[in-house]
Amino acid sequence: MSVNYRELTINGLWKNNPGLVQLLGLCPLMGTSNSTVNALGLGIATLLVLACSNAAVSMIRNAVTPAIRLPVFVMIIAALTTCIELLMQAYTYQLYMILGVFIPLITTNCIILGRAEAFAAKNNVLSSAYDGFIMGLGFALVLLAIGIVRELLGTGMLFANMHLLLGPIATNWTWVVFENYQGFLLAILPPGAFLVMGLLIALKNHIDDRVLARKPVEVVTSAAADRRVRVTGVVE
Amino acid sequence: MSVVDSMPRSIRKNAVVLGLFAAITVAIVALIQQGTASRIEQAREQAQLQALSEILPAGSYDNNLLEHTLILDDPLLGNRAAEPAYLAFLAGEPAAIILQATAPDGYSGSIRLLIGITADGNLAGVRVLEHHETPGLGDKIETGKSDWIHSFTGKSLINTDSDRWEVRKNRGDFDQFAGATITPSAVVRAVHKALQFFDAHNEQLFASALSSPTPEELP
Amino acid sequence: MFLSQVTSPHTVRHDHTRNIMRRVILAAIPGLLVSCWFFGLGPLFNVLLCSLFAAGFESLVLKLRQRPIGFYLKDYSVLVTGVLLGLALPPWSPWWLLLVATGFAVVFGKQLFGGLGQNPFNPAMLGYVVVLVSFPVDMTSWPAAHAVTFSGGLSHMFAGTPWLDGWSQATVLDSLKNNQGLTLDELWDGYTGFGWLSSRDSELVNLAFLLGGLWLLHKKVYTWHAPAGMLGALFVMSLIFWGGNGSESNGSPLFHLFSGATMLGAFFIITDPVSSATSTRGRLLFGIGVGILVYIIRSWGGYPDAIAFSVLLMNLCAPTLDYFTRPRTYGHDKAKRGFNTEGQ
Repeated sequence: MSVNYRELTINGLWKNNPGLVQLLGLCPLMGTSNSTVNALGLGIATLLVLACSNAAVSMIRNAVTPAIRLPVFVMIIAALTTCIELLMQAYTYQLYMILGVFIPLITTNCIILGRAEAFAAKNNVLSSAYDGFIMGLGFALVLLAIGIVRELLGTGMLFANMHLLLGPIATNWTWVVFENYQGFLLAILPPGAFLVMGLLIALKNHIDDRVLARKPVEVVTSAAADRRVRVTGVVE
Repeated sequence: MSVVDSMPRSIRKNAVVLGLFAAITVAIVALIQQGTASRIEQAREQAQLQALSEILPAGSYDNNLLEHTLILDDPLLGNRAAEPAYLAFLAGEPAAIILQATAPDGYSGSIRLLIGITADGNLAGVRVLEHHETPGLGDKIETGKSDWIHSFTGKSLINTDSDRWEVRKNRGDFDQFAGATITPSAVVRAVHKALQFFDAHNEQLFASALSSPTPEELP
Repeated sequence: MFLSQVTSPHTVRHDHTRNIMRRVILAAIPGLLVSCWFFGLGPLFNVLLCSLFAAGFESLVLKLRQRPIGFYLKDYSVLVTGVLLGLALPPWSPWWLLLVATGFAVVFGKQLFGGLGQNPFNPAMLGYVVVLVSFPVDMTSWPAAHAVTFSGGLSHMFAGTPWLDGWSQATVLDSLKNNQGLTLDELWDGYTGFGWLSSRDSELVNLAFLLGGLWLLHKKVYTWHAPAGMLGALFVMSLIFWGGNGSESNGSPLFHLFSGATMLGAFFIITDPVSSATSTRGRLLFGIGVGILVYIIRSWGGYPDAIAFSVLLMNLCAPTLDYFTRPRTYGHDKAKRGFNTEGQ
């Protein structure tokens, strides 16, 4: 089966984006997007687990029967998550303390099992790893975008505490965008996550509409792919 | 017949495969755990030391705080269970102690505090470990949100009379925040009680640690 | 045969939205005047700015949605949202706070759901809660009665000058919530400007809103059900959990009726025809729910006053209330209520 890498990229980053289109993994998306550093930390962790789990699942896809497929997948994902958790504890301890329960919860993130089932179980190792990577990147970018907007609106600053993730070089990265900013608490509190997320989805739909309007000829051919797909399957 | 016969075999095969994968994944996790264990321990200790060293000024002690601890349980500290206290020494002489205390009467529940007291009874510093106060009002007790918590530094039972350990609104010496009185006054009272505890047990605390290096129940 | 399908409610009224809204604004004027007597021109400035911002946001979104602006502005509904917000927010609030509150009320509370008649939540209360959660310090600094000068208020509103000492005062509900060990008599003796039931300003402002509300009832702008339900529930709750004069007291029933935004809520907020229940029994239950929630949050919750939170929570329940309180249809013996009556 030949794999179109260009299509995989477009799907993961835009057309079938796990955060904005499939609306999967909303819990960590809402819970850890209150600052850039938290968002980036969890985004990278999810991306790593997703890429590795896709590769691992693809590797063993012919060795397991359908009956025990799911337990095996879950075991692989849980093991990988635990490894990431241990590594974060060892190298980014403070960030690990902040993200807390959301790291072990990566195991239950629907995107990961979804991609394992929908893609990695049917494709070769390289393309599965790439799919996991690009889907993870799509998720991480949405997480990062929400994190940046919420931190900026909530505190008037950007990139505070980046040294928790990137080490001492990032100590002075805090960028005070608005001087004497009152702080808009709502953005940092949970409702802010829903509002920013909704606005991001609206923005994406708006851009899609614009693009469609500009290319009326392609409407027919691309109609199926532009449908909002809530399942994890790739529209092919 | 053949279906019935083959069922146990397929179950057996699946069980073996599943067991194999369980063994492999556990092995991988165990391997990584082995590899990172010492580093995790180190990181955890460092984070703890970092938090403690913010309270006591650098150079005021020369021992490893985590090696001289006591387990304390006293109603004046307000903790729900026994909590560790950390002793600081300079050249073998008692320098300071860091107590854990709880203010039970915050605006929304308990506020857990780390309170550093020098051997002569002055407050070296106070930090908030955990709280549930209203964002934007009561959370100004955090260092990241305001400087209020630093106003404790240097206070003692001697330079601040017993009835001045309150917020200004209740005729005390400590500022309250705009829109919040309950939170700061709960913290002030908890710090006051911790100082009283230290005053009553001062010598006992340091003596017990000098005599035995291992953690010890007290009093 | 042509059968026209008309959904309920089947009652026909000849009042236009515009007339109703105009009356609501008129009825709020006594409250506004009394409020101005205590806080100078602050409440008036609040109301004017909020109305201006509200009309501005409404026009902006209508333009984006390509709807006729003048047509929708003329129903005055957005003006009511602005006026109610201006009355509910602390007098002389900073201009940006008013801007954020009206922005969220009109854009997120009303227009994003499809405009007038489509919003599940009371827009004014939504805007109020957004700023209450976001800017708690500004929302808890009410000016003291007769204290703020005109220039002082203006510079607080537009230049962000903080209140001078003595210009702001904790509200009675705040004082009660923060009471530590005083009996009620001692507490109110120490409170400057305490009147008969509550602080002088809040009891008179509440009285004015009560009168305005009674006039609206008389004009049949709405029925008595929702206000009576809310005030009755609040009264009963505060009677049960009163606790007398001791330091653990939760305040007397009359204190609760004439403190905070009680009357404004009962006669101007929960009577909103869009976001509240539609049947009369539903409205009664809606009001009772608001009254109970207000008391619970005031006495045991994290905020001193609770009209906005209670109204939003009950807005969530309104569709369910409507479902269970469908009125009897003419010509049938019994109203069918509850789930699962459709297919029988």
